[in-house]
Order: sequence, then C-alpha cells, then structure tokens
Amino acid sequence: MKKGKGMKFVGDSRVTADKQKFIPKDYSEYPGRTEAFWPNFLLKEWLVGAVFIVGFLCLTVAHPAPLEKLADPTDTAYLPLPDWYFLFLYQLLKYKFASASYFVLGAIVIPGLAFGALFLAPFLDKGKERRPHKRPVATSLMILSFVAVFWLTYEAAAHVDWEAKAENNKPEPPSTVEIDTSHPGYAAYENSCLQCHGGELEGGPAAPSLIGIERSVDEIKDIAVNGIGNMPPDQFQGTEEELQQLAEFIVSVNEQE
Amino acid sequence: MSEKKQQVSRRQFLNYTLTGVGGFMAASMLAPMVRFAIDPVLKASAGGDMQAVADVSEITTEPQRFEWTVEQVDAWYTSDVTHSAWVYKNENDEIVPLSPVCKHLGCQVNWAGNEDYPDQFYCPCHDGRYLKDGTNVPNTPPDAPLDLFEYEVKDGTLYLGQPVPREEV
Amino acid sequence: MLQKMYDWIDERVDITPLWRDIADHEVPEHVNPAHHFSAFVYCFGGLTFFVTVIQVLSGMFLTMYYVPDIENAWRSVYYLQTEVAHGQIVRGMHHWGASVVIVMLFLHTLRVFFQGAYKKPRELNWMVGVLIFFVMLALGLTGYLLPWDNKAYFATVVTLQIAEGVPFIGEMAKTLLNGDPSIVGAQTLARFFAIHVFFLPAALFVLMGIHFIMIRKQGISGPL
Repeated sequence: MKKGKGMKFVGDSRVTADKQKFIPKDYSEYPGRTEAFWPNFLLKEWLVGAVFIVGFLCLTVAHPAPLEKLADPTDTAYLPLPDWYFLFLYQLLKYKFASASYFVLGAIVIPGLAFGALFLAPFLDKGKERRPHKRPVATSLMILSFVAVFWLTYEAAAHVDWEAKAENNKPEPPSTVEIDTSHPGYAAYENSCLQCHGGELEGGPAAPSLIGIERSVDEIKDIAVNGIGNMPPDQFQGTEEELQQLAEFIVSVNEQE
Repeated sequence: MSEKKQQVSRRQFLNYTLTGVGGFMAASMLAPMVRFAIDPVLKASAGGDMQAVADVSEITTEPQRFEWTVEQVDAWYTSDVTHSAWVYKNENDEIVPLSPVCKHLGCQVNWAGNEDYPDQFYCPCHDGRYLKDGTNVPNTPPDAPLDLFEYEVKDGTLYLGQPVPREEV
Repeated sequence: MLQKMYDWIDERVDITPLWRDIADHEVPEHVNPAHHFSAFVYCFGGLTFFVTVIQVLSGMFLTMYYVPDIENAWRSVYYLQTEVAHGQIVRGMHHWGASVVIVMLFLHTLRVFFQGAYKKPRELNWMVGVLIFFVMLALGLTGYLLPWDNKAYFATVVTLQIAEGVPFIGEMAKTLLNGDPSIVGAQTLARFFAIHVFFLPAALFVLMGIHFIMIRKQGISGPL
C-alpha cells in the first residue's frame, strides 16, 4: 500500500480507493497442523452447536418450565429453595458455624474468600508451570472447592421431596368466578365453610377448592353434614333451610364457569 | 497450481456447509420463538356472542344511543367494557343498529351532533357526516358508511353481535 | 449478486479488514477435535456463547407477553405458557437455558483453570471471565423473581435477608435492591425486572466484547 501523498480515497472519505483482494491465508504453510477459523474450524464448532440445540430443544419439550402458584406471602407451609446453582450457599447457611452470630462468616466471608480467590487466581498462582500436577496447591484447592460445592448441593437437594413440592404448588388457573355475597347461602358458607375453603371458594392448605366441582345440591348437602375424605362430619352448623341455601350457593358459583 | 484450484473449491464447499449448519441452528432456535410472537395474528378471532341491548319497544324512528356492557377477556386481563350503538326503526319497520365509530379515524359519531345538520350523524373530530341510514355524506372525510351490527330480536329484546362493514357507496 | 452487494458496501465502508479480524485467523491443532478428541473441552466457551444467544433471543420474545407487575406477572406467564402457541417451549428455552449456561460456564472455567490458561499474559481475560460468571449468577437470581410465583417470592425474601446481613451497608443494599425498606412487592418486581432486562445484559455485553477482543489479540493458549 502506498503511503503519503499518493493515496487515493473514495470520495471525500477516509476509505482507501485501492482495494486489496481478499485472499484467505493458506495456513498449511504455518508450522504445525493449523487450519483456518473460517470456515474449517467454525464448521466443526457449529456441528457441535447443531447437535447441542437438538438436545436442548428435546429437553425443553420433554420438561416444561415449572411454574408454581401465584406468590402468596401468607403461605407458611412453603419451603423456599433457590435455584440449584445457589443451593450450596443455602446449605452452607444452615450450619452452626455459618449462621446466627456467625452469619457474616457464612454469608459473606467464606463465599467472599472463595470467589475472591477465583477472581484473583492469576495473581495467587504466579508460577510459570501450567500443568495441573505441577501446581499442586492450586489444583487441590480447586478440587476441594468443587467437591465441597458438589457435596453441599447434594446435601441440600437430597432432603427435599421435590415431587411432593411440585405437586403442592401446582399453578391454579386464575379464578374468573365472582362470589355473590348477597346470595342467601353465602352467610351459611361464611359461618361453616369459609375458614377452610377460603373466601373465594379457592381452597386452602387443609381443604380443596370448591370451584370446578361437579356435584349436585344433594351431594353437597350430604358432604357438609357427613364429611368426605379428610373432611370431618358435622362441619355444617345451622338449619335445614340454610343447608339447602348453602348447597345452592356453591352450585350457583360453579355454574358460572 | 491445480492444487490451489482444488483448495478454493474445497473452501467453497465448506462455506456452503457452514451456511447450512448455521442456518439449521438459527432456524431451530428461532422457529418456536417466531411462532410464539406471531400467535395473535394466527389466532382465529372468536365471533362474540349476541348481547342483549334494549327492549324493542324502546326503539323509535329517531336514532337513540344504547349502551351495553360486556366482559372483555384481554389475554390475562378481564374487564367490563361498554359498547354503544345508534338504533332506530326505518320506514319499513326494520331495526337499524349503527356502529358509532366513524369510518374516518375512529372517533364517536353523534346523531344531530351539529346544529347545522339535525338529520345527520356528525363526527366532531374532522366534521365527518353520515345520513340517517349511515351512508357517508360525499365530500366529508369518511369514505365508507357506518358499520351495521348483526342483530336479532328474541322475546321482544334486541340482541346485537359484531359490527359488520358495508360496501362503499 | 451477493458478491456485487458485498463489493458495493466494501468500496464505501471498507469492511474487508473487519471481516479479516473476525474470520481470518488460524486455529492451532491442539484445540481441534478432529485431531485430538480430547479437544472437545475447548467447545464449552463457544457453547456458553451459543446458550447466551438463546437466552437473549428467548428473553426478548418473552417480554412480548410478560408484564412486570405483581397483579399480572404470574397471570401473564400462565397465559403465555398455556394459551400462546409454543409458549411452553420458549419459556422452557429461557428457563433451562439459564441452568445450561451456568453448567457450560462452570465447565469452561474448570477447563481454563486446570490448563493454567489464566497465567501470563491472560490474567485480565480470566478476571473478565470471572466477572461474566458473576453477572450470569446475578441474572439467574433476578430472573427467578419475575414469574412472581411462590418460589420466586420466597427465594427473593431469603436473598434480601442475606443482603441485609452484610455488615454496615446491609440495610442500604437491601433497600436499594428491594425498592422499599420492608415490603417485598411491586417495587421489588419492577427493580428486579429492570436489573434483569437492562442493567445486567448491558454489563454482560460489554464484558463479553472485552473477553472476545482479548481472545483474538492473545490467541488461544498453547498446548500443555
């Protein structure tokens, strides 16, 4: 390329007008068996990528992303757990030496030291040697941390009944039912059922939802008096007329669907 | 020399394969996402139900505005939305339910909305005017007549469905 | 046709040197799985990038339906998952991608660590890489609040408690993250959404850009 006054430009820009043809280098002349990144090596990478995405899509189809119930801050039965990659921290904070008055040690100092050491690894391990067995301290510390994280994660996960947890927290479709509080049966519902089945018939920890049930007035009357499954008998307190109104109320809510 | 030529064609072949594999990766990644994004376009619009609007006895030969409320489900958001229609009986005793939405830019038209035109629908936004049967007055902004609602009369009650556009006059 | 378009652009903008920088460089034998199968360990970095691309794209598409509001966030997620075609898959890609990207990053980090590839002259790139790891963890943390389900809510409460436990700045850090000194609610969700969708990705892109430029400058570390 000519320098100085002889240079030609495209229009008034700084783009040079003399084009050099784009000829890829022939890497066979370089020492060793190297090859061009484009397209030779990239093709191999992308083949791996293609296999990967097929597997990845199979995973997403086979295991739908979980969604739990709408957040309910009053749900005291809920066991909060972080995503799996934070489980080791969660587990660490359970131990005596990392909780209560030692909380700062467990939550800040230990993870801070570990991640700080990871961040500053090039300055802590300054030797020229690269092979793992030639730098035993770095290698063994890394293996130790890996084993520790793996073990903590396992400890945290092994004691959780994941299936029951998923079952208890299944999402419920948002309720579109309106509760007619002026219905004559609502007062009876409020007295006898609301405590367990909830103000919107949505159910609770101890009782199922009353929305979407397909029972007749007589069946509901029978259940209210005699119980069913875990529900003890004699939950209903009131007159025969109120019982009738109560059952009609529950049926009327279900008819809205 | 011949070796060099072969190299170029091999390079081309690799380029094509690379494009193919890259295309496959991009396509398998984007296909579900694009289908996801264009879903509203492909969803069949549900023809709304007929809604009870008014007693037939209330309908006169003079256009009156009737309002009714429907529960509108907008994906995850359900709300009550009020619709309205201008309804009257024409000389053949047929009910004419007109949409109040101006065909120009969607403002609400009013019967006798302008003192100068007591027998026309008037749109305040751009002075659009329509005759009593909904036909747009030539040389005013709208270029089509007002939509007519689908309707039916059951047990003396007028039910309205969706507004249907009419041909240009 | 394509060649003509390329020439037209190249005459004006001179893109050949850019193209050369990106594509035209040699790749040594020891990272090529065609020569040594064990070189597959060099794929983890590339796969991390690929999953990141999946995350960015699926995230962009998810925001077409998602709303960051405590009344509607859960409903919109439920809606896009049950009513929208392929919603299950797109959300699945984002959900599982979040886990896979951590796995890939972890494997990539282990590869670089055990090969001692972080040593001179690559110290800076290692540090940028560790920062990318932190940003990814933070993305995971802020991301799982967004569906506003039980898991989201309670895990975030715990996270905020941990933030509060930090000496001296704990209270402030918690309020800053939470948007309110005590309520975990509307403001928390809006903040986490902004952090997850704008702040952290911006940081991630800058760090990844630096990471890649340094790789091209320094080349791949030699064989052991």
